[in-house]
Amino acid sequence: MTETRPLLEARQVFKGFFGNPVLKGVDIALHPGRVHALLGENGAGKSTLINLLSGALQPDSGAILVDGRPVGRFSPAAARAAGIAVVQQELSLTADLSIAENIGLGAFPRRFGLIDYAALQKGVREVCAMVGLTEPVDMPVADLSLGRRQMVEIAKALFRKPRVLILDEPTSSLSAHEAGILARLIGTLRDRGTALLYISHRLNEVQALCAHVTVLKDGGVTADQSLAGIDGEGLVRLMVGRETGDLFPPRPLAAPGATRISVEKFSAGLVREIGFSARAGEIVGIGGLVGQGQEDLLLGLYGAIPARADHAEVSGLPRLPAHVGEANAAGIVYVPADRKHEGLVLPHSIAANLILPSLGRLARRGFRDRAAEAGLIADLARRLTIKGDVARPVQALSGGNQQKVALAKWLPLDPSILLLNDPTRGVDIETKREIYLMLRAFAAEGRLVILASSDTPELVHLCDRVVVLREGRVAARLSGAAISEEAIVGAAMGIHEQGEAA
Amino acid sequence: MKAVKAVFRNPPLLTFLLVALVWLVASLTLRGFGAYGHLRYLLELAAVIGIVAAGQTLVILMGGIDLSVGAVITVTAILLPLISPAADPTGLVGIVLALALATGIGLLNGAGAAYLRVPPIIMTLAMATFLQGLLVIVAGGSAVTVSNPAVILLGQARPLGIPAGILLWIVVSVVVLLIIHRMPLGARFLALGANPLAARLSGVSVARNTLLLYALSGFFAGLAGILVLGMNRQGYVGIGDPYLLMSIAAVVLGGTSILGGRGTYAGTIPGAILLVTTTALITVVNASPGWRSIMFGSLILALLLISGREARR
Repeated sequence: MTETRPLLEARQVFKGFFGNPVLKGVDIALHPGRVHALLGENGAGKSTLINLLSGALQPDSGAILVDGRPVGRFSPAAARAAGIAVVQQELSLTADLSIAENIGLGAFPRRFGLIDYAALQKGVREVCAMVGLTEPVDMPVADLSLGRRQMVEIAKALFRKPRVLILDEPTSSLSAHEAGILARLIGTLRDRGTALLYISHRLNEVQALCAHVTVLKDGGVTADQSLAGIDGEGLVRLMVGRETGDLFPPRPLAAPGATRISVEKFSAGLVREIGFSARAGEIVGIGGLVGQGQEDLLLGLYGAIPARADHAEVSGLPRLPAHVGEANAAGIVYVPADRKHEGLVLPHSIAANLILPSLGRLARRGFRDRAAEAGLIADLARRLTIKGDVARPVQALSGGNQQKVALAKWLPLDPSILLLNDPTRGVDIETKREIYLMLRAFAAEGRLVILASSDTPELVHLCDRVVVLREGRVAARLSGAAISEEAIVGAAMGIHEQGEAA
Repeated sequence: MKAVKAVFRNPPLLTFLLVALVWLVASLTLRGFGAYGHLRYLLELAAVIGIVAAGQTLVILMGGIDLSVGAVITVTAILLPLISPAADPTGLVGIVLALALATGIGLLNGAGAAYLRVPPIIMTLAMATFLQGLLVIVAGGSAVTVSNPAVILLGQARPLGIPAGILLWIVVSVVVLLIIHRMPLGARFLALGANPLAARLSGVSVARNTLLLYALSGFFAGLAGILVLGMNRQGYVGIGDPYLLMSIAAVVLGGTSILGGRGTYAGTIPGAILLVTTTALITVVNASPGWRSIMFGSLILALLLISGREARR
């Protein structure tokens, strides 16, 4: 199966959002009868590439080719017409419609202008049999488990008889049995000449199913090669790559101070009965794949979601904070990952955002002290080099400067514990460096910094200790020389179990 | 040109200029419209709307809505004569009791929204329906006449020639503007209205602010109910009904976003005056009540398109 003509190809595609480049000249070619793996860490640009290949987004420059011919404006309709189907990571089903209606939606067979239900049922039964769906096809999707819904999603793609099938993390909600059915199905489609693109964080699946791999890192292709003879460790090496530079401040040699957080059998949201402790002056990293409980760990410690623990001491409190107000009063602050929706009041001014947590403290006899507020705002803006008029709405700022506002508003509280959720996501390199320096300075002042991050180099080079979560439990606790990208990525993916040691 | 743009970006000022323009044109074309007595009468009517809309503004700024204000006005107007103790010659006890009742109703609204997580639109609508049922049982549908001296004074007195209702409205305006612009509370509920999640994670208590604002809305509706009662000297089922739409329309005419997070009571004040002016002008036109309602609805829509549209970003 050497050189067939690719069915679908992207050549030197560039794509950015709001001046933030996401894809920087990416090539990928999907050949008939081949399962192609697309790997990359979170934020590497995988979803954007899929959206370009399926016509959901248009490249800023570069070309999409179908059957070797460039297509002008590649719309979702054009992609469907070219036989390209995508199984999205986020389910796109309508819960109240039946299995059959969901599968047929947008591609209903028609007769005299009306939906031909007989033909629909026949076609739907065929694809349902292929994916092992035995439920009655007129059952509402709302009654199905997440895994079964994923199978409906796959059946929906098959119903369109695709020549190119893109599967975005199809197994993340599937049982082992369902994953087995999917694996066999992928083999069948491949043998029939379908071109497949397979995105997964489960490297053993990639090894078992795929013949070729493209690795994305920071919007560029770092590997495009055959998978023959490459093992799990080799895949991890391909993904991690090399390059860090002097982005990170040096670690001091000072010993950490008193214990600031100590919890046993702590559960919150996805987090299941973990033990965790951290001391003043430390930067502790929380790593893992997306959605393994990192955010819930932080929110639980912040009192923002219900949490419980057998024993807890947090910032002098003899228990977990019951609500955000109590956490703030105890000197615990939180910087959310999604600064646009959780961190900032976007339409309000920079000044209003900076002052929000300090309003009560600065008020005199129940009224706001405008002079004191203006002084504090000016001081914060100067310390964080937030330039320009603070009366502008905060949404006018760049991502990096927005993040600085989300962080700066907490400084007047003189926090003893800073909980940060992916603070450098979508932040330019210069601001990243500033934030790293600031976090290191916080630690040097005896504060505790807990940093959940999807950016592995950040965990390796900034943090004193790293806790890797997997499915809500601790997959690895790393410190000192044991912190490496290989160890973190490996533990996150369950390649080599580090266990509960240390 | 720059000045014109600035006006369009300042909804309160725009609404105020609109009122001035309408008053000017109407005074020049309609006999009697521009008389001092008539304009004063319009302001007196606007005071009731303005006071109800004070609570409504606060609640809407926080991203909620209070659909029970009409029912609260009716409840206060009907129950006040019944709960005013005869032994109290000033009538103030009755007023305090009625305001406590109205505030309590608002607190219940807030508790439903904050603790039971009932959407405010449902919570306050259900409350309104509940209150109407209660009134039919208590008052039996007949009108009650007020004899409470304090209430009559509020409705009829004119110190220095200015109706007491207008003076009350001025006091309410000062208090509400201070709350919004000069107290931490105002900044907090504006943040809640614009982004509840971010506000909560910044340490703003959603429950406490929700309770407080709905209680305030109940209080101001109760105050308006007492004023209406004093002006009419009679309370009856349905007396508060027109004020529900009026209060929301005054808020939105003033440029406050119905979605919350942006706006000020400074816009609601001319909004309320614009509403009564519109009503008065329609009354002048010789038309059947049906057509008047249709014209009033269309005019509100038209005014909203003028003053609401440009405020959008």
